[in-house]
Amino acid sequence: MSQVSLSREEAIIGQLKARFPEAIEETKIDRARRVTIHFEKDHVQEIAMFMRDELGFDHVKGVAGVDLPTQKKIEVLYFAGSYSNAEVQDFIVILKAKLPRDNPIIASVVSVWESAHFHERETFEMFGVKFEGHPDLRKLLTLDNWEGPPPMLKDIKFPEMGQR
Amino acid sequence: MTTEPPSPGISISKTAEPSTLDVSVGPQHPGSGHCRILIRVDGDYIVSADPDIGYVHRGCEKIAEYRNYVSNIPHLERPNIADAIHLNWGYVLPIEELQGVVVPPRGKYISTIAAEMNRIMSHLYGLAIMQGVFSGHTTIFMWAFGDRDLFIELAEMLTGARLTYSFLVPGGPRRDLPFGFEDRLSRLLDYFEKRLVEYDRIFFSNPSVIARAKGIGVLKREDAKKLGVVGPVLRASGVKYDVRKVEPYGAYADLEFDIPTFEEGDSYSRYLIRFEEMKQSVRIIRQALEKIPKGPIARKAPLVAPEGEATGRVESSRGEITYLVMGDNSDKPSRVKIMNGSFRNLIALPFLVRNVHVADMPIIYGSLDYWPVEADR
Repeated sequence: MSQVSLSREEAIIGQLKARFPEAIEETKIDRARRVTIHFEKDHVQEIAMFMRDELGFDHVKGVAGVDLPTQKKIEVLYFAGSYSNAEVQDFIVILKAKLPRDNPIIASVVSVWESAHFHERETFEMFGVKFEGHPDLRKLLTLDNWEGPPPMLKDIKFPEMGQR
Repeated sequence: MTTEPPSPGISISKTAEPSTLDVSVGPQHPGSGHCRILIRVDGDYIVSADPDIGYVHRGCEKIAEYRNYVSNIPHLERPNIADAIHLNWGYVLPIEELQGVVVPPRGKYISTIAAEMNRIMSHLYGLAIMQGVFSGHTTIFMWAFGDRDLFIELAEMLTGARLTYSFLVPGGPRRDLPFGFEDRLSRLLDYFEKRLVEYDRIFFSNPSVIARAKGIGVLKREDAKKLGVVGPVLRASGVKYDVRKVEPYGAYADLEFDIPTFEEGDSYSRYLIRFEEMKQSVRIIRQALEKIPKGPIARKAPLVAPEGEATGRVESSRGEITYLVMGDNSDKPSRVKIMNGSFRNLIALPFLVRNVHVADMPIIYGSLDYWPVEADR
């Protein structure tokens, strides 16, 4: 049972590795139906295009940022999902790219996945990640008069909320 | 192109194009939370819309990093008080995955019953306010809100709270079914099924409702896929996608139910899809009450989650809600990311209100069942 379901995860990883031997850095099967792919940030648009056109992952469920201050990196996560391809409908493929913390820039995937529009805006606002080529990269959720660094970074602390 | 900064309430400003005006709709409370939509109108037609959200942003994801796993539960279900169980369940699933805790079968059935009751309550809220009031139909507002209260009373009997239940903790639900609950619930479902017929007669088959909503705000199947919308909005456009079937959680794998879809993708089919889903929810609850096994309801879960990350998802009333939870061997998550239905459906609003009458905007907004607080988090 588990072997049958696991082979689908391996198939996705295999196809991505065969197409992008240099860009894919590390892969992991978290569990059935969950695949994590670490990739080199410059290839984000090609990988997104391949995911959409060849593997059928036609939308993103979200784009998240994760701050890693000890590694001096900000990680960007794309949660790709599929409505069109019945074989991988139950999958969430998490694509991860690490960006330098002092200058986080990555190409926008809005031209490939239009569904990433508001998610990229949110990640820009909360983590300061600049998505190059995004059609409308503005603040979304915080107040107009919010000044200061992006609020979701780990060095922004709110001592009144307790210890972290 | 705005010549003056938009002020709260309705403000109108001239634009460079002589025939168009910028109108700020909001930030009022249109029934489910504060949000503002900046629209550019040419005569009675909307040329473009720019949703300006964030009026109810509370930084839920940041606050979650400061609280331990259990005290995050009441906090993370606040963004949508009409749909608290699903926000709660979606957060608990990845924690259970990280900790390796398996909920006993009876616990899964109780969670499923609570979740489907919540789906009916949430859809009744949507029917009353988002669809009834927004299309000027006060009868369905009173009827649906009245019947919703009957479900709220039973939810209170089960969980101890009317709306924000904090019912599910890692390991299972907090309480077993109280004495007499099954009987009361099945009698309520009998009553509710009769009411659904009356809803159909007064609202869904009402010519004035059909005239207002049919053919308005059409979202074609390919556009729905491209924009990545979820839940009833997606299924009303003909895409059969429901997490309860795609990746069954709780007791859904054991229960029989259909996923209703419509091909039209207009506001009226988005109204109807929730009506059909309520019928399916009744079906699910009836089966669950019949099949519910005996045994323990929950297992004890540790307060600490190991290092790692897990992604869990449930089908909430507004669509798939996905949580990413990262643990770091402490009792607090190092990162919680919420991807919910309202935020993902927001992209459909500027897409759908283009080239429609200003008067049709509330219909389209209501048919999306958009919940600003959930989207803003």
